[in-house]
Amino acid sequence: MAAAALTSQLNALVNNMFAMGLLDDQFQQLQMLQDSTAPDFVSEVVTLFCDDGERIICELSRQLEKPNVDFDRVDSYVHQLKGSSASVGAQKVKNTCIQFREFCQQRSRDGCLKTLDLVRTEFYDLRNKFQAMLQLEQQIQACYPKH
Amino acid sequence: MAAAAQAPAAAKVVVATSPRAGGGGGGGGDRKVVPVVVAAAAGDEAQSEMHVLAVDDSSVDRAVIAKILRSSKYRVTTVESATRALELLCLGLVPNVNMIITDYWMPGMTGYELLKRVKESSQLKEIPVVIMSSENVPNRISRCLEEGAEDFLLKPVRPSDVSRLCSRIR
Repeated sequence: MAAAALTSQLNALVNNMFAMGLLDDQFQQLQMLQDSTAPDFVSEVVTLFCDDGERIICELSRQLEKPNVDFDRVDSYVHQLKGSSASVGAQKVKNTCIQFREFCQQRSRDGCLKTLDLVRTEFYDLRNKFQAMLQLEQQIQACYPKH
Repeated sequence: MAAAAQAPAAAKVVVATSPRAGGGGGGGGDRKVVPVVVAAAAGDEAQSEMHVLAVDDSSVDRAVIAKILRSSKYRVTTVESATRALELLCLGLVPNVNMIITDYWMPGMTGYELLKRVKESSQLKEIPVVIMSSENVPNRISRCLEEGAEDFLLKPVRPSDVSRLCSRIR
């Protein structure tokens, strides 16, 4: 496929992510920071976010399965996920983390489990879209001869 | 136009990696310092470059803050914990640090404790310390400023916050 077609596909994907509220303007800030000194900046940060998020979600499931849940520990993991989400502009995941922390404060295991399901769904949906985005970017780059 | 690699600026990046533990500080993490990854940056700025030590336990946040600072022509060293930062500073492994920018909440030593330790040290106290936090807690902010923090930035940090800092420091 020609670069132009791939580029419009990429733009449509990203615009849709904004329209769906998955991303907020922090993501645009990251896009603006990408320059010739760091041409892969956005994809590096997105990859760090995906790895970090996956690790935290696994850890949260493990913590909430325990017979005696340590809610402070759960809260500190949710705090980490909220931080990474805010930094990449993953608005929806970030907002769910805010709810999640309320359930931690209420020491509500049911609330935490329900919110974990929600945040997991949102995170993996976002991760799939990020991966599609990175794949398109690679395909676009491959259209141009290397310097 | 395959220009031969220009003399890279002294953009030294020391990344100390350690698996991020959920809680509990100290011990553990491997002490590996992956030294001196030379990043290409505008060569002409090398002389006037300010060196910033950025401290954050989140790999995502480290990447973002480092890029923002580099875009403002700072030279950046990132570390993943306050303990590591203090170690590097006290051993003189990151000489000529013009500013420390640290996350507030980290497992083990917090950014607030790091601030206090820096301000207590006759050797380090002149270095401006900027605290970042995702939570807008007025008490926390005033406590940091009372302890001598140069500024308090809310996360996610934006390029505009750093340009504001840039114009003030030095």
